[in-house]
Amino acid sequence: MSSLSARLLLAVSLLLLVFFGATIGVLDVAFRDAGEQAQEDILDGQLMALLAAAELDDAGELFMPPDLPEPRFGSIGSGLYAMLSDSGREPVWESRSLLGLDVPFGAVPAPGVRLFSNIKLVDGTPLMALSLSVEWELANGDLRPYTFSVAESLDSFNAQLARFRRQLFGWFAAVALFMLLSISFVMRVILKPLRQIEEEIGEIEEGKRAALTEGLPTELDRVARNMNMLIGSERGRSERYRDTLDNLAHSLKTPLAAIRAVLSEQQANSLADKIEPQIERMNDIVRYQLRKSASLVTDSLGVSQVAIEEQLLRLTDGLKKVYKDKNPVITLSVDQRAEFRGDTGDFLELSGNLLDNACKWCKSVVDIKVSPCDGGGMRLTVSDDGPGIPQEVAGLLLERGMRLDESAPGHGIGLAVVKEIAASYGGALTIRQSTHGGAKISVSIPTKNEN
Amino acid sequence: MRLLVIEDDTTLRDALCKQLVEAGFGVEQAADGREGLYFATEYPIDLAIIDLGLPEMSGLDLIKALRAKGKTYPILILTARDRWEDKVDGLSAGADDYVVKPYHFEEVSARVNALLRRGGGWASPVFNAGPVSLDTARQELKVNEVVVDLTSYEYRIIEHLMMRAGDVVSKMDLTDRLYDQDFERDSNVIEVFIGRLRKKMDPDNSFKPIETLRGRGYRFALERNQGE
Repeated sequence: MSSLSARLLLAVSLLLLVFFGATIGVLDVAFRDAGEQAQEDILDGQLMALLAAAELDDAGELFMPPDLPEPRFGSIGSGLYAMLSDSGREPVWESRSLLGLDVPFGAVPAPGVRLFSNIKLVDGTPLMALSLSVEWELANGDLRPYTFSVAESLDSFNAQLARFRRQLFGWFAAVALFMLLSISFVMRVILKPLRQIEEEIGEIEEGKRAALTEGLPTELDRVARNMNMLIGSERGRSERYRDTLDNLAHSLKTPLAAIRAVLSEQQANSLADKIEPQIERMNDIVRYQLRKSASLVTDSLGVSQVAIEEQLLRLTDGLKKVYKDKNPVITLSVDQRAEFRGDTGDFLELSGNLLDNACKWCKSVVDIKVSPCDGGGMRLTVSDDGPGIPQEVAGLLLERGMRLDESAPGHGIGLAVVKEIAASYGGALTIRQSTHGGAKISVSIPTKNEN
Repeated sequence: MRLLVIEDDTTLRDALCKQLVEAGFGVEQAADGREGLYFATEYPIDLAIIDLGLPEMSGLDLIKALRAKGKTYPILILTARDRWEDKVDGLSAGADDYVVKPYHFEEVSARVNALLRRGGGWASPVFNAGPVSLDTARQELKVNEVVVDLTSYEYRIIEHLMMRAGDVVSKMDLTDRLYDQDFERDSNVIEVFIGRLRKKMDPDNSFKPIETLRGRGYRFALERNQGE
């Protein structure tokens, strides 16, 4: 449950469920109570009518005339039943509708008390029963206890209740659905800027975008602006870092060059012979270590998508000038699906060192191939028709990286730098034999996936 | 051949210029980008060596400005910034090659010679035209496989003429390349040098290597050999 809109939707659904559940419960209870009350009133009315209809016969016994005002007492199984019983609960009279049925009218209440009870027929039909005991004054002035009972089937009441519940649920379900739909629509509208920010951050990570769009709703606009400032300062920081390292390299190398130039003015000087290797060593350290440190800055927000083919074309154009006398045939094939997310300088450093070595060592052919790795990224392969790199030297270069005092001449520092940069991008360097007979060097750089 | 060195580090610039002069080049020097731009546009230059990290005007902007002004002579970048980004920027701005500091002078002089030669349309450091063969690396002239002994001035003139074989080179142009600025310019000296060269190279006046075009200058007249 990580998405905001999913959380909101879940919370709203739960609230709706609780709210509508409670409402349905209250309405249902109220409806049923009202229905039962009405049912009791009807039964009471029937009982009163029976009381009114009862008469004493000549023998001084109570009897019911055959024609009762309610016709349902007269038709068998009508659902409305009545019984008049004496003090021993022995029936004195039963309505015609009771014929063949055994209705358990229940206990005899105290005189003058109305007793309602819910009973069941043998076949399970629910009934509501009402019994009232009275003391009937006979002709001779004696009082005699009688119990009047009526019962009515609850079938139609239950059917009515069920219909009411169906309608209630139906309407509430419709209203809930409508509310959920409209809330998710509103949410979509309200959360749109958030989704936009999410998409844009994705694009920034992929290097397709430099900053977040500003002019969002107030609450988010500040976030976006601060985010942009952060991205900007992050970029600025890594640029400043690179520049500082670059300036450091620059300010160390010019004096080295001056020392070397001054030394070379003194011909055949033993001091110069001693200092010269030290100059070379210092130069190697500056080149390798500073390059290595510079390539460690690979922040995920500051990256951009490098235009691989464009940069390789610039590079090959430049190298064709430098190697004009040799005039190597350079073929370039770039698969457009390959991508390099990172610093353009790092990309040029990777490809420049490999290509320069290839041009330096080749007889006449240099092939450059760029293809996507498994799962994105890029694999840059440079092959030439030169002497190649012996297996044991390649092994040393790859295993130990750069040892300043024993670098392979020509291929040494350039390859060591390539290896370091590739490693800082989580990539790898492989050295093989090319079909042209020379070296075939591949750098694989995966696409970083933080998610 | 006249070179322009634009480098802000005084020790380095002095040492480099001294080495270049010893190697037989005429050298102008400038200490910053603005001064460099002035020399590079106002003086007859055959090649410029430019440091990328210059004060006043960056080497990169300087190269762009020169190419924009239609200067076509070769440019060699001398840089302490050995990032490929900088090299590629320099090369696509119009430079022809680069040397990374701290350099060995032999590397600089090899690149300079190669660029000058290429600028003249020669593919190899040895120029062969008919019976004449000029080895620019050894600064040695041979005619019919026999070495011709030349003075430094004579060598500079024949090198310049042969480098631009087929083109007319004005007296003014040759004078510029012989003397440093402060010398009094006397065009008759050129005529004297040309006369001596003709006598040394072609005593019988049989193949006439140097042609005089009255009022315009001189031209190395022999066809370049095939494959040159």
